[in-house]
Amino acid sequence: MAERLVFDRSLYLPEAVEAAAAAYGDYARIEVTASGEATEVLIADVAELDPQMVARAFANHVLHETILRVRQSARPENA
Amino acid sequence: MSDSADKGETASRLGFALRADQVACELDESVYPLEAIYGACYLYLERCFVFLTRARPGVVAVTLSAREPATPDGLDQLAGEFVNECLAQVTRLRLAQSTTRLREYYTAAALRAAAPAPLVDDLLAELESDDLLEDPLEIMVPWEAQQADASKKDPNG
Repeated sequence: MAERLVFDRSLYLPEAVEAAAAAYGDYARIEVTASGEATEVLIADVAELDPQMVARAFANHVLHETILRVRQSARPENA
Repeated sequence: MSDSADKGETASRLGFALRADQVACELDESVYPLEAIYGACYLYLERCFVFLTRARPGVVAVTLSAREPATPDGLDQLAGEFVNECLAQVTRLRLAQSTTRLREYYTAAALRAAAPAPLVDDLLAELESDDLLEDPLEIMVPWEAQQADASKKDPNG
């Protein structure tokens, strides 16, 4: 059973989605597709874990990566 | 904040949208800037699963999913505390923005005060340095000597 997540680009950075996909690559098959205003992710082949739980944890990871990157870019030395 | 009760979810005491193990609320970005929402989300990532969607332009929908089975009251409380944290983050953000110049001034003043004061020996060494012994304007020549030289050059003056 596959889980599909849609990350709005105004809220989630595409590079954060890519980073999370790389981190979760060992636990599931992650397909990332960039569309107009969103980045879509398909999470499939989850081994021995609840697919919905993995999808929620994946979304948390994307949000964490996004916040870190936004804060990093907002620092004065990066302005 | 505007409730999402029109989407057929369980009634919430605080006006949030309750589902089986999730609670959702909508935050207006004109009241809660995205930076403040991120700040609150960051604090809640360990406590629950957080997912953001764009409900409509200028409005962020936040869905909080409990990590363990939770009661409707528990979810209500979770969302209520989350929104409170959003307000705290907004206050923190606005305070930081309004006091930026003041904090920069105090930091500069503290750094200046922390700089080591010059020692007496250093000041004396500076006085004895060669640069100060040079006297291109003849300031160190006594006034009488200057006047004597001038009278020799101009005996009628």
